[in-house]
Amino acid sequence: MRARVIAGGVVSSIAVLAIGWQLGGQPAVTAPTPQSTTSGSGTSGTESTSGGTGSGTTGGSSASGSTGGSSASGTFVGDTTQTRYGPVQVQITVANGKITDVTALQLTDSDGRSVQISQQAAPILRQEALQAQSAQIQSVSGATFTSEGYTTSLQSAIDKAGL
Amino acid sequence: MIDTARPTRPMPRTSGDGTVRGALPPAEPLDVAARRRRRAGRRRNAMTDLLGVLAWVSAAMAVTLWLASSGSHTVVGIGGWLTDAGIVAGLVATDLVLVMLVLAARVPLIDRTFGQDNAIAVHRSLGKPVLYLLLAHGALLTLGYGASAGTGPIAETIALFSTPDMPLAYLGLGLFVVVVVSSLVAVRRRLPYEAWHVIHLLSYAAVLVALPHMLSVGSVLAQSTWQRVYWIALYVLALGLIALYRFALPLVVTFRHRIRVVGVETIAPGVVSIHLAGRDLDRLGTEGGQYGVWRFWTARTWWHAHPVSFSAVPGRDRARITVRDLGAGSARLGRITPGAFVSLEGPYGLFTSRARTAPYLALVASGIGITPVRSLLEDTDLRPGEATVLLRGTDADQQYLWHETAELATATGSRLYAMVGHRAWSRDSWMTEEDLRRGVTLRSVFPRLLESDLYVCGPRAWSDLVVREARLAGVPEHQIHQERFES
Repeated sequence: MRARVIAGGVVSSIAVLAIGWQLGGQPAVTAPTPQSTTSGSGTSGTESTSGGTGSGTTGGSSASGSTGGSSASGTFVGDTTQTRYGPVQVQITVANGKITDVTALQLTDSDGRSVQISQQAAPILRQEALQAQSAQIQSVSGATFTSEGYTTSLQSAIDKAGL
Repeated sequence: MIDTARPTRPMPRTSGDGTVRGALPPAEPLDVAARRRRRAGRRRNAMTDLLGVLAWVSAAMAVTLWLASSGSHTVVGIGGWLTDAGIVAGLVATDLVLVMLVLAARVPLIDRTFGQDNAIAVHRSLGKPVLYLLLAHGALLTLGYGASAGTGPIAETIALFSTPDMPLAYLGLGLFVVVVVSSLVAVRRRLPYEAWHVIHLLSYAAVLVALPHMLSVGSVLAQSTWQRVYWIALYVLALGLIALYRFALPLVVTFRHRIRVVGVETIAPGVVSIHLAGRDLDRLGTEGGQYGVWRFWTARTWWHAHPVSFSAVPGRDRARITVRDLGAGSARLGRITPGAFVSLEGPYGLFTSRARTAPYLALVASGIGITPVRSLLEDTDLRPGEATVLLRGTDADQQYLWHETAELATATGSRLYAMVGHRAWSRDSWMTEEDLRRGVTLRSVFPRLLESDLYVCGPRAWSDLVVREARLAGVPEHQIHQERFES
């Protein structure tokens, strides 16, 4: 009797696990959603409090989101990138063709753990981006998804700025 | 001592005692009845197995929740692996905790197919593995998060403590540790039953305070996933069964039947029969051999519930239970005064003729184990010669209810043997030294042992020896029925 339970249990468990395996494994980062992101950054700015970078420079984005002039000055909002832990979106501030600030408007926030991770990672990513002046930056270990979303969104913002 | 050649001298019938049923033997032929029982037994086994498989599947489902979550196929780095192993450990552990709750919930389906005592035995065997899984869950996640973030386990623990809902999760883990440690045999023996019971009730709190962090911190059960819906449904199911069968149903039974104590009768040193009166007690559905969990509402006894067997099948407005003072609590039962209000959980138990699968019946009882055996004999329709009873006692003080049992045996045409004396000293045996030397065996007492359902009830160590001999003699497992007298 016990043997039957164990045999039946193992077989049906394997079946359930196989189904689970088939259901799972979506790609970790989807392509950035094409989006006209030049909407009023004031509203997105409020969103950034949920994933706040803690860098205190959020105030820098107060200027209206204007697609830049030829010499590239102003703020540029990157595309929203979907990750398995939630959307990531950054905004850059450019002065005379130089990135002077990077602000995270949205960070991974699907659960408490993700919020914790992205809050740790965002200042590091910002620092790297300011140093590199590009999206070619190291991802932060333990925050792979946040990093990937961050660089993708950052690249699109840089593209918009025409740097 | 035992005389295997002839039944003990039938004891004289007392007149005017309504306890003996002079029922006619059933018309159904023995072999037909046996076939019917075997079919019923197979159905019961199939249902039990199905429930067992369901428990396995629920654990597999817990792993599947993680498998089906996005990113489970793209785990990276040592930190990622530790983290995901921790998540899976937590999911499986929680699922098993819920299985444990259901096993302890006194669900009628489980009691009727598997037996509540077996369910509790499984419940117990799961306790320690589940605790290890929970500790592994905490340790693996702390290490995994720490490895990913490049911090040490202590810094990570501090960080986790400041995450919302995590302090509650740590509290839940602490409660689980306390509950399991208090249930370890060595610890539990030193604890008063009440203390253990109160600690054990904390497991409900532990299950509840652990829930928020699963839903808020965990990514597998994130909002708007089917996993979250499934998980909450599982919680509702387990806690619902507990609420229904452990709390609501006993209340209904208690208030419907309004049971009171009408008499307390000392029938042997330290052994009392408690006579009860109530409404429609026959509609409790008690089968001979079952027990109830009783609580006597007097100032000194209300806080202790006692699992006690019915020593007679309840009549319309009368019932009787017999209890021996095994613990401090049950010693006080002898001093209950008539009129005390009684609450009842039950009746429970599969030590009944419902569990029979074979043509013949072999009953073995020792000490207080006589109670379910007596009511089982009373409640079974028997042909002459179908049942054989063996009563075992150390001395004359342990022969309570033997008289009534002998009368029932006579009325049903069953054989009855008695074996009186201390346990053998030369080797481990359930018999007396004298009978052991004479070469008495279960087979010699019950010549049709292999075609019999063997019901054994008595002190645990003693009845284990009887069961061991039966197994060695080749009695199939489904024909062995052992009542465990412990809560």
